[in-house]
Amino acid sequence: MKHFDAVIVGSGASGGAVAYTLCRAGYRVAVLEKGRLIRREEFSKDELAYCRRDIVTPCLFDEYHLIEEKVGEKWVATPTYESGWSFWNGNIVGGSSNLMSGMLHRMHPDDFRLKSKYGEIEGANVVDWPISYEELEPYYTMAEEVVGISGLAQKHPFAPWRSTPDFPQPPTKENEVVKLFDKSCRALGITPLVTPRAVLSKEKGHRNACYYSNFCGSYGCSSGAKGSSTEALLFPALATGKLTLMSHTYVKSLESTKEQVTSVVVIDTVTGKESRITADIFVLAAQAHESVRLLLNSKNRHHPNGLSNSSGELGKNLLFSAGGSGQGELHRESLKGIGFEALMERGLFVNRSILDWYYIDHWWDGRFKGGSVEFMFEHQNIISRACKNNEEGGKLIWGKALGERVAKRFKESKSIRFEIFNDWLPNDDCFVTVDEAYRDKYGMPVGKLRIAGHPHDLKVGNYLAKKCEAVLEEMGAKNIYSSVSSLPPQNLIAGGCRFGDDPKSSVLNKDCRSHDIPNLYVADASFMPTGGSVAYTWTIYANAFRVADHIVRDLSET
Amino acid sequence: MTRRDFLATSAAAGLSVSLHAQEADAETKTLEAALPLIAAVQQHMFPEAGSLPSAKAMDAVTFLKETITHGSYDRDIRRFVIEGAQELDRRTKGKFLTMNHAKKEAALRSYEESRYGSNWLTRIMTLTMEAIFSDPIYGSNIGQKGWKSVGSSGGVPRPKERYIAL
Repeated sequence: MKHFDAVIVGSGASGGAVAYTLCRAGYRVAVLEKGRLIRREEFSKDELAYCRRDIVTPCLFDEYHLIEEKVGEKWVATPTYESGWSFWNGNIVGGSSNLMSGMLHRMHPDDFRLKSKYGEIEGANVVDWPISYEELEPYYTMAEEVVGISGLAQKHPFAPWRSTPDFPQPPTKENEVVKLFDKSCRALGITPLVTPRAVLSKEKGHRNACYYSNFCGSYGCSSGAKGSSTEALLFPALATGKLTLMSHTYVKSLESTKEQVTSVVVIDTVTGKESRITADIFVLAAQAHESVRLLLNSKNRHHPNGLSNSSGELGKNLLFSAGGSGQGELHRESLKGIGFEALMERGLFVNRSILDWYYIDHWWDGRFKGGSVEFMFEHQNIISRACKNNEEGGKLIWGKALGERVAKRFKESKSIRFEIFNDWLPNDDCFVTVDEAYRDKYGMPVGKLRIAGHPHDLKVGNYLAKKCEAVLEEMGAKNIYSSVSSLPPQNLIAGGCRFGDDPKSSVLNKDCRSHDIPNLYVADASFMPTGGSVAYTWTIYANAFRVADHIVRDLSET
Repeated sequence: MTRRDFLATSAAAGLSVSLHAQEADAETKTLEAALPLIAAVQQHMFPEAGSLPSAKAMDAVTFLKETITHGSYDRDIRRFVIEGAQELDRRTKGKFLTMNHAKKEAALRSYEESRYGSNWLTRIMTLTMEAIFSDPIYGSNIGQKGWKSVGSSGGVPRPKERYIAL
């Protein structure tokens, strides 16, 4: 049986950050990843493969989730192989960090004390975090440097303070549309900000600078510029000689005594052979809903309700990112202030966000926590754009009319899009359990996700959408629309293993160590009691670096 | 509505569900038999002399066949593509291929009136769009004519093999 100082389940953003720190501190680490390694040289911009087929996620007939939604007064559970609504996100070495767009923000200091700052909201389980922004700030800075986040430090009332004067790299190159965007924002009294991006604008060690491929999000990066766990963390960890990276390794369960986890039971997904791996410390980093599932599936006579579940809180208060998106078209004939050829230049980023509405304090609209907004071009995928809006009056358009419409859309306009991020309020109807009757191809019960958003989330999302539509209108965009719904984005999942000071009301302590089992840590986004109003990724990286420092302290004492 | 509910609805509307009980080779034979009709529908949607290259010139039907029979493709949708073609064949009494343009248009618009028919036509259109605008390595978009017709081109690096090594 192989023995390591630490075993990490999952190789994404959090697993990579823990492996990076532990290996550099000299510890022998195994990272277990269900998927395979796709090397930089192997990534391509194959829209069919990466965006329209399940090549980086499991076949839903083999591995799936049960999604429970309220229909009328009843909760109805539907397997995702029925709906096609996959809740997998990049099951390859490096996880979904390979496929992100990399538009990142730090959480605001007030996000760490949502309850005491903004008060309770009926029907929402809002609590303060057991740590403050001050405690996480050094790790946000570390992530900036190690992962490689480019950007521009700008003063803004809702920009979190920073301990370094500026980003380690300047922003990536921008399309001329930002001139129009910035001018339009200022005309409306809005402050446009440069979006920090986990994409290198300059070479960094073994990673090349961005080459502006025009196809970034949903694709792996062919230059290493994107700050994926693979490029930024796992390859440097491998270089220490301390990391054993085990791909094609499915983790069935953890085995434990009352006091400690003793081993992980794994299946080689190629041979089907089952084996055990032992370690001093076990770290879960499998993404929020899957880490919860693993803990529930590891129940034993010492822990009959699942590992780390003496509080009964395991799986509760699952979070997504609330909000929505919208877009409008910039047409050649009505474009203002910039040239159409410049607008159509491929590959350059929009790199703009708005934080003005992070907190609303308005004489008419009221006072409430708002959110952040990102602006970007519509994804440049060719097939998906060609398939859009090809109907009229409920009838499909085909023949010559279809060709003219598609060609015009591509040649005479470019769409600009916004994405809204506001708090998904934790509530009693959003949680993870497992259902013994539904099992994956390895025979393990699948995760069952009950999903319901709080009505307040929709109110905030709609408020922000109207503000964003006004920006697009000022830019002269046509056919503007937005969509805010209570359906969750399945690529932004957190919560389920809340951290807190009280073992009776939380799963993990403030170091993200299990209250019940001292050699068990959870490093992914499941620790988050509230999600903030930005995408989680930077916070996941930062917190995992923080957790890794605690693990190093633990290991050094044994 | 879930996908299986949707298929169940179609069965209630009188469509054969016998495919579900057949072996894979029988399914392949059924697909082969349906391909000429599917190709004719594709060609009606993407004709010659339009702004986009025609389905026939791009050999979109071969792309469709190779796509839906690939191991990565959803087996329920594969069955739906085949059964939907059989239903259109039944509705047109086996004469769709020999119809003139106006009659084909009328037959397809009539089929579109049902939710089942509308969904099937949308699926055929999507599979044809995928053919014309996917990387030429998949056999269609010949000479990148699909991309060129909309003044675009795929990203770099282009794939060196289909679906990488599944």
